[in-house]
Amino acid sequence: MAKFVIRRVFWTIPVILLVILMTFGMMKAIKGNPFRNTERNIPAAIQHNLNREFHLDKPWYIQYAYYVKGVFTWNLGPSMLQRNQTVNDIVSETFPVSAELGGLAMLFAVIIGIPLGIIAALRQNSAFDYGAMAFSNIGFAVPSFLTSTLFLYFFALKWGNFTGFPTFGWSGFHSKVLPAIALGLAPMTYFARLVRGTMLETLQQDYIRTAKAKGLRWRRVVGLHVLRNSLIPAVTAAAPLLGYLVTGSFVIERIFAIPGIGQYYVTSVSSRDYSVTMGITVLLSILIIVANLLVDILYGFLDPRTRDLRT
Amino acid sequence: MALLEVDDLRTHFFTREGVVHAVDGVSFSVETGKTLGIVGESGSGKSVTALSIMGLIPRPPARIVSGSVVFDGRDLTKLSEKSLEDIRGSQIAMIFQDPMTSLNPTLTIGTQITETIRRHHGLSRDQARNRAAELLEEVHIPNARQRLDDYPHRYSGGMRQRVMIAIAISCNPRLLIADEPTTALDVTVQAGILDLLDELRTEHQMAMILITHDMGVVAEAADDVAVMYAGQIVEHASSEDIFNRPEHPYTEALLGALPHLESENVRNERLTAIPGRPPDLVNPPSACRFAARCVYANLGDSCTTVPPELREIRPGHLVRSAHPASERAGHREEVGAR
Amino acid sequence: MSSTEERQTDFEVALVHAAEASHLHDAGAALRRSSLWRDALYRFTSNRAAIIAAVAFLMMVGFVVLGPIVDRADPYAVNFGIAYQSPSWSHPFGTDEFGRDLFVRTALGGRLSIEIGLAATVAIMLIGILYGSISGFLGGWVDNALMRFLDTLYGLPYLPFAILTLAIFGVVNFWTMVVALTVASWFTTARVMRGQIISLKENDYVRAARAVGARWQRILFRHLLPNTLGVIIVFVFLELPGVVLGEAFLSFIGLGINPPKASWGSLAEDGYTAYNTHPYIIIIPSICIAWLILSAFFVADGLRDALDPRTRETKEG
Repeated sequence: MAKFVIRRVFWTIPVILLVILMTFGMMKAIKGNPFRNTERNIPAAIQHNLNREFHLDKPWYIQYAYYVKGVFTWNLGPSMLQRNQTVNDIVSETFPVSAELGGLAMLFAVIIGIPLGIIAALRQNSAFDYGAMAFSNIGFAVPSFLTSTLFLYFFALKWGNFTGFPTFGWSGFHSKVLPAIALGLAPMTYFARLVRGTMLETLQQDYIRTAKAKGLRWRRVVGLHVLRNSLIPAVTAAAPLLGYLVTGSFVIERIFAIPGIGQYYVTSVSSRDYSVTMGITVLLSILIIVANLLVDILYGFLDPRTRDLRT
Repeated sequence: MALLEVDDLRTHFFTREGVVHAVDGVSFSVETGKTLGIVGESGSGKSVTALSIMGLIPRPPARIVSGSVVFDGRDLTKLSEKSLEDIRGSQIAMIFQDPMTSLNPTLTIGTQITETIRRHHGLSRDQARNRAAELLEEVHIPNARQRLDDYPHRYSGGMRQRVMIAIAISCNPRLLIADEPTTALDVTVQAGILDLLDELRTEHQMAMILITHDMGVVAEAADDVAVMYAGQIVEHASSEDIFNRPEHPYTEALLGALPHLESENVRNERLTAIPGRPPDLVNPPSACRFAARCVYANLGDSCTTVPPELREIRPGHLVRSAHPASERAGHREEVGAR
Repeated sequence: MSSTEERQTDFEVALVHAAEASHLHDAGAALRRSSLWRDALYRFTSNRAAIIAAVAFLMMVGFVVLGPIVDRADPYAVNFGIAYQSPSWSHPFGTDEFGRDLFVRTALGGRLSIEIGLAATVAIMLIGILYGSISGFLGGWVDNALMRFLDTLYGLPYLPFAILTLAIFGVVNFWTMVVALTVASWFTTARVMRGQIISLKENDYVRAARAVGARWQRILFRHLLPNTLGVIIVFVFLELPGVVLGEAFLSFIGLGINPPKASWGSLAEDGYTAYNTHPYIIIIPSICIAWLILSAFFVADGLRDALDPRTRETKEG
């Protein structure tokens, strides 16, 4: 098992390097980019800084090598537009905010979504089941910019005095509820449908019939036999959902005026602050890759069949 | 009084395509210490019968519409789910066909054995574990104690079936129902399982219902045999009688003992061997259900108009047919022992 | 009797027989020769949810195609006099801040969104199928390398990838948008196609065909392709909503196609600024998107059930 973990971790490194390379390549391809070393419309002082930091006067592979080193030593270079700030500064300010938003959204998705799926499966074809699934379908199809706007409109604007939800900002518990729910709605529906599906499938399995034939109480059959087999796939679903959270945060942060990393990303692209863009892209990529790694390892532990296969 | 008495059991499946009459008027009884073999092809209703006894039929589409299943004086069809849960595993136990899928892959073998014991007998964890190890030894699994902590995928098919048997006898049930216990296993392993079942039955004084499609299995292991076809019992006799003096044309065919065709009764569109399919159970034939495939059925006969009743053609030998062997013209008493 | 049949429960077998029996009640009980497609069509049309979804989907297509023809308002005519009107008879979807009729604009926006979606979906299919087929068919180290590369690509988050691609082009128009969306979304299709090709390659009937000496063209066209075609069709209906939503997201954060041309996403963005006073402006295009997504998704579901009867059986356990 340890061998599996080590091997898996080992393979992530070239993946990360390759991702950085791709990002690097894409950045270089963008026009009007000081990285391309052909534009001259940047204040000399900054250009000088950039050259120093990013080694723009050297061949591209040297630049790349330095950048990689920078990534691993947590030095992403200076911002191109804001003279006093480094990319690190910007990231350290905005990332925790987005991380918290993402975390809360995921929490909401798990706490509401999974029980919803479980109950829907146990009461298959009941009114609850149909209702829950209809709700899931709507939650997944309606674009998050609409749900966020509606939340904002009703809960913060119209009934704001009653609920205490502000219409923007990110301080204090109240301001975090609406955005977290808006962002977590789609993952919630995903979990609900996934868990319902796996539970229905598990309930059909022969070993559940065996468990019933043994006279075990239904509570135990569901609580232990069914759930244990049904929830494992839900765990593996967490990783791709991270990608969704990243994407969704762009929109949510915009609507709720949350100073997170998604907001900053868009701003950096339109204002051509490319070192920020690159830094954030690389950071997010590494995050996703590491998350995938963790989920893979976790899955290896959870399913005893794969556990033995890996040794 | 018999340990188990099933009387006119009818289990139907209510589906969108219609009502499937899977078990349509089945009656039999099982005595303590005896083995009843139920034989039939797929779709004959034998598994559904077993599941109906245990109350394990899938409740949305299926339902026991009438009949009774009296076990130890109580009608199981009238009991609450809770009461049934108490009986299952401790009074009546069941083992299933496919050992590869009948065990939970994410729980250890030990857990799956001890949970039954603890559920019904309230033993402590250690006591249950000891008992579990004993049980594994009883079913001849080597290194019992260590293997308790293994997961099912580390066991072979034959060993898993032994584990299933261990679980089944763990609470000393009065009745063991074995649904095709050897079908999914290699031939070489089959004999071992059957021997084990026999051994345990005598030791624990259990009654057993052995369900199979294989006449050979039944010959070995059963005291009484009931042959099922299209949801009904078509013949019921002692094992010896079934093999030496089969009456129903279907039984004869199963035994491969088709008598020579009587020339006056041959119709060339009839199937002359078992190939062909059992009748549609959504609209079963109103008369004899085997008539379409029977060599002896006649157009002008009662076979297609009157449903044959299960009648006692000899003491202890029931048959549901208008043309049982001993009543056929030119019947010869030459069907020897098999 | 095959051992698989013996292992089915009595119920399943009875059900199969019942179903077959009901089919036998016509055409003189002769065996009906149905091709895969006719069977699939039959199954699809008997699936109520799928039919409703298909109708809904076609309704939306009808709306975007016929809408601007039926309602002859000029989508670009600015008229502040009738700005910000709520939905009414003369303007079924109301008017926006410039007094433009939103019914027409939504329909035209739909045309653009769906066109982009279709173009991107086709591109995704082409690239994904090509990549996946090559990888699956060739196998060995080629397959390994291609898949590892694909794994890397999964590491790049969707929106940033698309955004960077757009930035590289420097301008956002129909084609750059299509490329950006395609580039960020083709991975799953590639992976699925590879899986399909691999499982089919090992399939017994392909082996049998080879054993009889069939040439690779025959194998490809008569065996591999018809089976993957089903999967491809299902995937089209799964990818389309994803791409439409992606375009909407990009438009919403300001990286959409420039005005006055509009897509549903940019219409929503327009409407967003006035959400507290005139919520219909953002609600309507969003509902259109949701409508498309839901109907496409359920059509895909229905197609999947229709084309692969095995998924049906596993549901029955």
